Amino acid sequence: MKPSRLLTLAVLAAASAVPLAAHADDFPTSGRVEYVLECMQKHDSKYEYLYKCSCVVDRIAKAMRYDDYVAMSMALRNQALAGERGGLFRDAAAAKDMAGKYKEIQAEANKACAVPQR
Amino acid sequence: MSLQSRLICLSACLALAGTAFAADTDTERLTKDPKNWAMQAGNLSNHRYSELKQITSKNAKNLTVAWTFSTGVLRGHEGGPLVIGDTMYLHSPFPNKVFAIALEDQSIRWKYEPKQDPTVIPVMCCDTVNRGLAYANGKIFLQQADTTLVALDAKTGNELWKNKVGDPKLGETTTNTPHIFKDKLLTGISGGEFGVRGRITAHDINTGKVLWKAYSTGPDNELIVDPNKTMTWTDGKMAPIGANSSLKTWQGDQWKLGGGTTWGWYSYDPELNMVYYGTGNPSTWNPRQRPGDNKWSMTIFARDLDTGMAKWVYQMTPHDEWDYDGVNEMILADIKVKGKPRKALVHFDRNGFAYTMDRVSGELLVAEKYDPVVNWATHVDMKSGRPQVVAKYSTDKNGPDVNTKGVCPSALGTKDQQPASYSPRTGLFYVPTNHVCMDYEPFQIEYTAGQPYVGSTLSMYAAPNSHGGMGNFIAWDAGTGKMVWTKPERFSVWSGALSTAGDVVFYGTLEGYLKAVDLNGKELWKFKTPSGIIGNVTTWEYKGKQYVGVLSGIGGWAGIGLAAGLSKGNEGLGAVGGYKDLAKYTELGGVLTVFALPDR
Repeated sequence: MKPSRLLTLAVLAAASAVPLAAHADDFPTSGRVEYVLECMQKHDSKYEYLYKCSCVVDRIAKAMRYDDYVAMSMALRNQALAGERGGLFRDAAAAKDMAGKYKEIQAEANKACAVPQR
Repeated sequence: MSLQSRLICLSACLALAGTAFAADTDTERLTKDPKNWAMQAGNLSNHRYSELKQITSKNAKNLTVAWTFSTGVLRGHEGGPLVIGDTMYLHSPFPNKVFAIALEDQSIRWKYEPKQDPTVIPVMCCDTVNRGLAYANGKIFLQQADTTLVALDAKTGNELWKNKVGDPKLGETTTNTPHIFKDKLLTGISGGEFGVRGRITAHDINTGKVLWKAYSTGPDNELIVDPNKTMTWTDGKMAPIGANSSLKTWQGDQWKLGGGTTWGWYSYDPELNMVYYGTGNPSTWNPRQRPGDNKWSMTIFARDLDTGMAKWVYQMTPHDEWDYDGVNEMILADIKVKGKPRKALVHFDRNGFAYTMDRVSGELLVAEKYDPVVNWATHVDMKSGRPQVVAKYSTDKNGPDVNTKGVCPSALGTKDQQPASYSPRTGLFYVPTNHVCMDYEPFQIEYTAGQPYVGSTLSMYAAPNSHGGMGNFIAWDAGTGKMVWTKPERFSVWSGALSTAGDVVFYGTLEGYLKAVDLNGKELWKFKTPSGIIGNVTTWEYKGKQYVGVLSGIGGWAGIGLAAGLSKGNEGLGAVGGYKDLAKYTELGGVLTVFALPDR
């Protein structure tokens, strides 16, 4: 009985994977470290930001899957590129939406973790 | 004769025999050893394929970081490293640093940084990219942004010679890799957005001296064509191009600002002694200002390497109305085309058509869309060789100050310069693509030397009614003109591909993933590098281990707005807003990330 019960559970989990995916909390350590390093650098490398930036990335990781985070944060970053290539990220609705949504989530996380927006 | 003296004679005779072919460089031989990566494309045919097979479709999932190297330069990193024996040679975007790196411990053997006038930056249309170095006979060749071609001693990094191939004050810059074919170095020019007259030059690798120079537009002697012997596809067969083939297709003196630049990936067939390359868009972008076919912009050229004489030409997009540069890589492959073995040339053009030509004769064999959303032309008429343009997508018919909407592909093309890979094992081509459409509005523009000569605004978006992403990675059969599989990507794929004898195909994404897929396009592995990837994937072997490396660092066309002093939203190349915030973002510099399988 046990294996089939597990199977049922797995199927149930898979079925609800769509709404749950947003809370996958699947960021790899390297992804979190990368975020914290960059965030610390933005705040003059003050040691307190080790804690504050960790707090931010943990919150972001609870809000979206890692793959989505990578795509959305890249969309935001690339809006700053000038010319045709950057235009792709500024004009295209899909990229704009991604960038906008990410900005919102990041702003919320920053607020909750006492990190000034930079 | 004693044995000893015989041996001496033998080696002396060999040395003599060697000098008989002294003209030939060692580059071709070096590319035949898969441990090296001796040319940007891996070989003369632009295959981007490696015989190495330690990394396979079975174990690619175990790939892990071996080492990384930062160039310390921001902005877009295109191209990739060269590997010769125990040394890697790596370039950076402007200021075009060169590093010689010992593979043993990644220590820097030497570093070269040219002094270049930074005023060259604003005249580089599309970011300060550089597509990498070339190697031959103990020399490293660098084509700097300011058009200076430099030869360095590969052992010491000392300058051996320099030659300037253009003038940045006229908007001329260079981004292409130098190409080493037999005994010569070939290089091109960028600046189609600045009214530059495109050409390629062949140089002596020992002195840098120009051996011949062939323009894309203008009188026959400057094109280096023979009106009676240079052929082109005409009415279903090859026929001579005739006298003044270029001049006839321009109004007045416009050919002098004609564009047709040459910043792509050339290839060379040693048996035919022919070199192949493509030319870019005609200037200006506003098509109403330059009536005619604008030959030979948007053209595939096949030339004799020794003399430069054109054997055949084929114009893909006569009278360009959308900026579909024809410079993309020319891949030489011996494949079956419609059931018949052919010495083919395969070219994935920005205009959305994949062309298969007979590279000996120049006959047009196949021209099919490699993205089904391509709509500016219904098809290429196989008799005339001309694309059949759809009136409502003609920015010329619609005229200046009219916004032509929904044109696919966008000005970025279904593919830009990022080179595809050809696997002789599968006979297929693995192609990074854009899946993007645009609205395009040309406007009247006056020419000023060294100023952008663009004359259009555009906006871009993911191809409508599709998977919502802006890119695909595809496998293509050039013998039939059919897609074998397609793998959707969220963003355009701007990285050059690599296929290997281990049945793995690699490419990078704008999110910064390096991906490995199997021969069916199934994802085997991916790794997030520090920044978006617009470089080309490379592989080599050192001390019995296969490595895979790729540059990450996306600059795109960053900073052009600031640098060029453009302040209004749509000024210059669709450079809308946004860049004012550039300073706010931490953009990681270029990093080469190198992967290998873990030791057992």
